[in-house]
Amino acid sequence: MMRVPSILLILILCVPLAQASTETTWTHEFDAGYITTKPLIIDDTVYVRTSGFWTGSDDRPVVAAFDVHTGEERWTYVSQTSLQHDMAPLFFVESGTGDCGDWQDLLIVGWVDGKVTAHSPHDGSILWENQTEVELFGITGQMALEDDRIIVPTRTGIASFCLANGDQLLDADTGNVGWRNGVSITEDGYVIGDESGHLHTIARNGTVSTTYLGEGKIRHAPIETRHGLFVHMQTNTGSSMYLNGSLIGSAGGSPAMPLMHGDRIYASTIDEWISILCDTQTCSIESTVPFRSYGELGLRISNSSVEIWAPSNTPDGGWGVFNQTSLIRMEHTSFDTYGTAAPGFSEGILALGNDAGILQVTHQESPSEEVRSENSSLIQTIHYFAILGLFLLLCRSFSMLDWAQMMKIGSAFFLVLAIAVVPELSVKLAEKTTPANEIEWDASWPNEWKQTQVIVFEIDGEERAIGGLEPQDTVYELTMLACQELGIQTQVEQQYLGAYMVAFNESAGDGWEFTIDGKRSPVGMAEAQLGETSIVEWRPV
Amino acid sequence: MLSAIGTHGPTVSPTVLLLAHATLFFIAIWLLVKPQKDGNTWLWPLFLIVAIASVSRIAMSFIPNVMPVTILAVLVGSKFGAQRGFAFAVLVTLASNAVLGHGWWSLFQILGWGTVALVASQISVHDANGNLSMTQLAFSALWSVPVFSLIVSLSIIDSSMSALEFGLYLVNGLLFDVLHFLGNLFFAMWFGQWFDRILQMNRSNSELIQQESEHVSTF
Repeated sequence: MMRVPSILLILILCVPLAQASTETTWTHEFDAGYITTKPLIIDDTVYVRTSGFWTGSDDRPVVAAFDVHTGEERWTYVSQTSLQHDMAPLFFVESGTGDCGDWQDLLIVGWVDGKVTAHSPHDGSILWENQTEVELFGITGQMALEDDRIIVPTRTGIASFCLANGDQLLDADTGNVGWRNGVSITEDGYVIGDESGHLHTIARNGTVSTTYLGEGKIRHAPIETRHGLFVHMQTNTGSSMYLNGSLIGSAGGSPAMPLMHGDRIYASTIDEWISILCDTQTCSIESTVPFRSYGELGLRISNSSVEIWAPSNTPDGGWGVFNQTSLIRMEHTSFDTYGTAAPGFSEGILALGNDAGILQVTHQESPSEEVRSENSSLIQTIHYFAILGLFLLLCRSFSMLDWAQMMKIGSAFFLVLAIAVVPELSVKLAEKTTPANEIEWDASWPNEWKQTQVIVFEIDGEERAIGGLEPQDTVYELTMLACQELGIQTQVEQQYLGAYMVAFNESAGDGWEFTIDGKRSPVGMAEAQLGETSIVEWRPV
Repeated sequence: MLSAIGTHGPTVSPTVLLLAHATLFFIAIWLLVKPQKDGNTWLWPLFLIVAIASVSRIAMSFIPNVMPVTILAVLVGSKFGAQRGFAFAVLVTLASNAVLGHGWWSLFQILGWGTVALVASQISVHDANGNLSMTQLAFSALWSVPVFSLIVSLSIIDSSMSALEFGLYLVNGLLFDVLHFLGNLFFAMWFGQWFDRILQMNRSNSELIQQESEHVSTF
């Protein structure tokens, strides 16, 4: 019988690990059409568009805005002229000022009938619109922003429009047609692919230079890597991956639109999900997972972990969630079916849409600091009562000279007591016993770095330092920011105990350790807190 | 797998890791099928105990060093001998680390728990009649901690680590060793008899009842 309370006691101790959170979900079903592009979540509004092949009936494609919390529809814009599949993702631009004037927040929509419409995100009204070339189809690819202009991939090239008034600034024709031919902005200009295997670079003055990669269709915005442009081309037999014009791999058919994060490119086809690692030499396929996804891919970064979401384009649908190299889990809704749209993400919010034309928005509310504090204090109270209760029972066993009972109660009492005190004591012990390396101000560092956070990397025997950055809360945040500034590549893995720094600039060695002001931290980099003038040092183990 | 030694151990490819796991698994199977003089029925009790140890280790992983695996290694080693004890250590480590994370440390955990089982096979916690001695079991909760802890700590040694640094590392872990001991004691006192009954689940009920009453009187 005594085993039951003991198990209950253990369960009580488990409670601190339970992350209390509430989750609310709402859905909206559109009258007709698919959701084939990623829903956009901006502040407290989610924007989504539908697509389809519209004939005869009154149904037409829409762009709609909903309250992200309640699902209340804020506005809907219906296009009466766009009759084919609208595949261009929605594009949000924050208000700003440029050479051609001032503009307010804009939701820019590219239509398959060639129109570009800029809407007020607040009421959906059209603030300006313009027309691009149509050759059966119009705009189907991903747009890009450059300064005060929106760069739009048209059916046969690109066009750019002033954000302030929609005036056309550039119109370049490549002579070939494109489909889902997203545009990338590079130092040399704008880059798009086409349906016949060409890669076009359009200089800012409109000059077009073309490279022929091979027989195939380029249906995504080329990705710029440090080794050149990456393209995943659809071919008659499957797909081919090109880096800087050279073939680096082959995969299944109908490639998805790849995306890049850090030193990795994520791609997918009808046969597999692919993780490509770009090291100092080249980019090469590191892992593949059998999966069927050939639309958009989504990237979610949360608590320093990276998730790649791939819609499963199968009758069962769902979304595969991957880490850097493998499938972690599948996410499902009650309306799963074929899907090609990436999920929309925002802080604690997930927006999913698929070919059923249903939008589902899930709002995960993490407990506030106040609630966490209350929970923590409740757990502590229970813990203290458990200690007290066991102590009283121990005294009772002692008074009755019941040694067997005393051993049982005593072991539980001392265990519960130790669980309460050991973690804190061990940190204090570690602080006492860890030899501190005095970190001294390096005279070669600029004076501007004084009174700011400074971070030092010792990579392959070479020391690199940076300071004067925007203050960060954790070692992880400062490290990522500094590496970005210094051009240092990082490889971080999510392990059981948290984020783990695998390598800087591909240098893994026996591992990496950091100190804060010369002291080792008892917690990992994602939890290690920084002061305003902390000096962080990363060096190989 | 053994090409480098360091805090985080050698980095191996998934293929090598798979081969290493397969090798360890076959070692465990070999240890189980290798004939042993003792005629105890061990197969199902051992597998059940492996399952309990693995699941409870995963479930309790949030409390550092508190898990019933060590005390179970003692019981298995004492009851079925070092050979089965080592097999137990391999299977539990492979199964639980599949969730908690495999690495260089897995090898040392296997050696740690295997050694605990080996010692327990020599310093038995069962008497000549096969009855569990709670006093011996409580004592094993203590001696098993430095045995396991020292072996697992060896996994952090590399060429750049001095004896002083290793000593400091051990000192820093002392409080967690205390926690390990108290956890062992807790599981021994509360679940020791229960685990032991599982290990001899094929014995008749009357024998078990008799043994239980003997246990109460012997403590």
